[in-house]
Amino acid sequence: MIELKDLSYVRFGTSSLEDAENFATKCLGLQVGEQSGKALYLRSDDRAHTLCYFEGDPAEQTVGFEVEDEARLNAAAATLDQLGHPVHAGTPNECALRKVKAFIGFQDPTGNHIELVVRPERSGKRYFASRDAGITGFSHVGLSTTDPARDERFWTQVCNARVSDRIGDVALMRVNAIHHTIALAPGPRPGVHHVNHQVESNDDVLRSYYHLSGQRVPIVFGPGRHPTSGARFLYFRGPDGMVFEYSVGVNEIEDEETHRPRQFGFEPSSLCMWGSKRNW
Amino acid sequence: MTGTNLSAASARCPLIQLCYVRLAVQTPQPAAAFATDVLGLQHVPNDLEPFLYRSDERYYTLCFATGAERPSIGIEIADAQELDRIAEALKGDGFHAREATKDQCAQRFVRRALIVGDATGNEIDLVLRPALSGRRYFPSRDAGVTGLQGVGLRSRAMKDDLKLWTAILGAKVTDRVGEITYLGIDQMHHRVVLYPSDKAGIVYVSYGVESMDALMQNHYFVEERQIKILHGPGREPASGQMFVRFTGPEDYVFSYGYGLGNIESGHRPRQFTLEASSLCEWGSQCADIIELRPALAS
Repeated sequence: MIELKDLSYVRFGTSSLEDAENFATKCLGLQVGEQSGKALYLRSDDRAHTLCYFEGDPAEQTVGFEVEDEARLNAAAATLDQLGHPVHAGTPNECALRKVKAFIGFQDPTGNHIELVVRPERSGKRYFASRDAGITGFSHVGLSTTDPARDERFWTQVCNARVSDRIGDVALMRVNAIHHTIALAPGPRPGVHHVNHQVESNDDVLRSYYHLSGQRVPIVFGPGRHPTSGARFLYFRGPDGMVFEYSVGVNEIEDEETHRPRQFGFEPSSLCMWGSKRNW
Repeated sequence: MTGTNLSAASARCPLIQLCYVRLAVQTPQPAAAFATDVLGLQHVPNDLEPFLYRSDERYYTLCFATGAERPSIGIEIADAQELDRIAEALKGDGFHAREATKDQCAQRFVRRALIVGDATGNEIDLVLRPALSGRRYFPSRDAGVTGLQGVGLRSRAMKDDLKLWTAILGAKVTDRVGEITYLGIDQMHHRVVLYPSDKAGIVYVSYGVESMDALMQNHYFVEERQIKILHGPGREPASGQMFVRFTGPEDYVFSYGYGLGNIESGHRPRQFTLEASSLCEWGSQCADIIELRPALAS
């Protein structure tokens, strides 16, 4: 069993680092942690980075999860290898680019690029947002899936994810008490479906709705509320078509032993109990 | 004896509650459909006034009156002594006030009413013993309405209108945005808001809802029916109230509100800058109600 401790980062290739920086600082509200010629490291909390844009193909999208230590990383590599997932061990240079001690890369059954990392760097300096969006941290990702049932088995049986709720056959999965860290999203090809940052309050969600509308950022869903996690949300489009989400008030699963996943119908009201319509 | 009464009166606001809004309408059928299908209120069958609507335990809080010339609001006064005192004070200060006839009281479902004109020309009914209903409120749709919450009034004579509300009626100024003035009569931040204007009338009628969920559900409900949203969803920084304001029948504006704050005992009226963010901290702007456009509300 591969034990995922937490989500660590997302890495996106981009054709324009300048556009990515403009969006990340003026719209999303992250802090530039470090900027080299070919990469932009963005902070959203006390970690050294949680989002990295690098010069490259926007189809290159990677999600990093933290595991306990190098022994468990090696065990994970062996498990994946045994199951027929080719594993790439990070070189020192690649580790430096990710600000981690060690990592391995592989693809999930859909073909999403996943990295397992050890000792991702934290920053001694506190997070100072580039705009007052109220971001409290990077929290979850939506991962595309070409076969929700198969991918649910991978994340729950090979890894330690647990299903919190399902909408139709699509699982929302947790790796800790937070309702979900991985949300599967049916789609024709692999890739990150959306990137979630938590914000402080309901007010922040609505303030950003008006702020981003004023910046002509396409709002693709919300403001709304998920009946599954209870979170109030706003989804909007960033560079290279990537969708970002702000949310607040996501439930925690209080009793790990007794929680049973609830089944929601595959219909709009399962995605938003307020009545907003998704348009992406 | 009189002195004791006066001090008792000044310690406690003689205004008990905002009890109803009577809106003059030309064509009641569309208004009636709006009250039940959109607002979600409960229709009250009544021969005297066929277009009465409930929102809470009261017999009604909204009336579409085909016979009325102008809209009016009803405010309950503590008792007959207070009403007599107020009538005297109004006469002394030159405000127009007349005792309602038996028929007028019957139409308003109150035992006694003093129909007062403020300096602007708004009609305010000061009433005794407004009717409650024995049966619980049963809404026509699940809008989460908890009751009539407040009303915005236009004022073209702010100084004299404020004299009526504060010196004579005993309401308290709780906060101001520019000259927009929030007035409290109970523990809530406000029940009446005066908006500087060049004419008389009601800016909006606000119904409280039970949660932010209800507020936002109503926002999307209204939007889906292609009813024009005029302001919001938004949040008033002064009162803490989240709101969505939208067009109703015959140019009346209705609002749902949630989160109206209480007034603390030591509260002093605050002055907010006259700008859009003082009327909505989330960033919504209001283009279509001139009184809610800060550049024009001075």
